Formats: sequence, C-alpha cells, structure tokens
Amino acid sequence: MAGEGDSEPGKSFKLLGFLDVKNVPCARDSVLYGSLGSLVMGLGHFLATSRVRRSCDVAVGGYICIMLGYWFYCRYNLAQQRIRQRMLKEGMKNRVLFEGSYLDPEKEQTGSERSDS
Amino acid sequence: MANHSQLTLQDAASPIMEELVQFHDHAMMVALAICSLVLYLLTLVLSEKLSSSTVDAQAIELVWTILPAAVLIALALPSLRILYLMDEVNEPDLTLKAIGHQWYWSYEYTDFKDLTFDSYMTPTTDLPLGHFRLLEVDHRVIVPTESTVRVIVTADDVLHSWAVPSLGVKTDAIPGRLNQTSFLANRVGVFYGQCSEICGANHSFMPIVVESVPLANFESWSSLTSS
Repeated sequence: MAGEGDSEPGKSFKLLGFLDVKNVPCARDSVLYGSLGSLVMGLGHFLATSRVRRSCDVAVGGYICIMLGYWFYCRYNLAQQRIRQRMLKEGMKNRVLFEGSYLDPEKEQTGSERSDS
Repeated sequence: MANHSQLTLQDAASPIMEELVQFHDHAMMVALAICSLVLYLLTLVLSEKLSSSTVDAQAIELVWTILPAAVLIALALPSLRILYLMDEVNEPDLTLKAIGHQWYWSYEYTDFKDLTFDSYMTPTTDLPLGHFRLLEVDHRVIVPTESTVRVIVTADDVLHSWAVPSLGVKTDAIPGRLNQTSFLANRVGVFYGQCSEICGANHSFMPIVVESVPLANFESWSSLTSS
C-alpha cells in the first residue's frame, strides 16, 4: 500500500492538548523531572517556612525552571548525538565506497608505514 | 501522508523538515511552560478578593519585561537558524520544473533528456483498493534519494502552490514568474501534497505525489520514460 508509516493516533498523549509527550524526544522526561522537582521544592519550602502561598509559587516556578532546564540539556545532547550519527553514517558509506581504492585513507596510511620502514 | 485525525506534522523526509519538526517540538515545550504559568496565575487571581493597595511594583515589572524577552530570544535563535538554512543553495543534482494548470500539474525534466508529463488526480471511481482518495495521481514525480533536487515552480493560468509537507516544501506558482526551491529526500518513499493556493473549482483535486527512489531506479525510469 503506498504511503509512509505514521505513528498510530491512539499512541499519542498530549499535555494541554498540544504537547505530545509520548512521541516527542525529551518531552516526557522534562515534564516528569519538572513535576518531581516542583514537588520537592514546594514541599521543602513549606516545611522550612510554613507559608502555603509562597510555597505554591516556589513549586510552580521550580516546575517551569526544571522542566525547561532539562529540556534544553536533553535537546542539546540529542542534537550532538544526531550529528555523530550523521557523521558515522557518512563515514560508513564512504568506507564501503572507497575500500580498496586509491581514495581509501587506510590504504594510504598502510602505504606510508611501508615507505617509512 | 496524514492520518484521518492527525493534527501534528507529518514524518519528515528531508533534513530541513527534520529541523522544522524539532523546532516545532521546542516551541511547544516553551508554550507549555507559558500556559502552565498563565493557568497558575489565573487560579491565583480568581481566588483573591477584588481589591488591591499596590501603588508600585518595580520588581514584577522588571520580571515581566525580561522574561518575555528571554522567551522570544529562545524562540528566535533556532527559528532564524532554520530560516537561513532553508535559503541555502547547495549545488543541485537535478532540476525539475513544476507548472501549475487548472487543474493539474505538469513536470519537466530537461537536464539530460526532454521528459515532460502531466500529473492528474486519479478519480475516486478509478482508484485501486488501498490507495488514497484525492491524493493519488496518474504520473508521480520521481526523484533520486539523497540527491538535492531544485524545483522551479510556475503557473500557466492562475495562482497555484506546489506543496509537499513531508519534504518541508511549499512554493507559490505564479504566472509569468519562476520561483525556485530545493529539497533532499533522505529516504525512499512516497510523499503526498496538495495545491496550496485557491485556484478555482477543482483546487482541492490537483494533488502532488513525489516518489523518492534509489538512483539506479531513477536512471532506469528516466531512460524508459524518455524512450
């Protein structure tokens, strides 16, 4: 059957109706760490100060900061991984193409070792 | 192509579209953070009495100036990066002309041999089982995989627009003007698009189908079709 394979609609879970945490890389972890961090910060602040309102503010602020902070960190690592994957793919393709030919860098190295000895 | 209830972007088939999908995810995460904050503030405001003795609020005014600026910078930087990336012209391996008519597309491959064909939508009554209604065409655009393709888009009569969401391409087809775009299909597959500029009664019935095949298959198709 012609067409590309998309993920099934039933497999997505959208927070606030627009952020698909199941299929977007790093989204689920960001939200979970944000929630956990917010709980810890809010509860900790409350235990230290007994101020409910301010503790809620701290919890929400912590949620946003931790969520976004982890998001940027995770996406940066993901981008680096993608670049490495692309370089590896290109390197493997070039190796297959040039192996044994005069363009093979390994052959040049072996040749120079022989000439040195 | 999109599923029946799909609201999200289609799976990317080109590096530019991959970047756009990633930027979309990034923008949605920022939007989630802002919505969470707004919902919380709304809850606070609705649970307070309607009176205030505040005369000045320097700190909060500083916060609600600097924070939106930071958010805009966080969105603008990746956006501008992709914008300039989309405008890069890497030496294309193939040039394809797409000409919009009422109501079909015609394509010309004139790099090596003169190959011209029209691409009409397959009527629903003639659609084979399992094919997609209002999306299939009689002659697909065949392009080689992992090759930069330059598309020159124009129109013969009225405004049209050549769009393929999976490839991240949408270019207006304007009579008397040549618009250029390029894409690189990084995997084999069939990618669907539809005319994206209102052009008359059958505007919804002039789809675009791009089929990306390995280079050897493209060459054999090209030689078979030209002869």
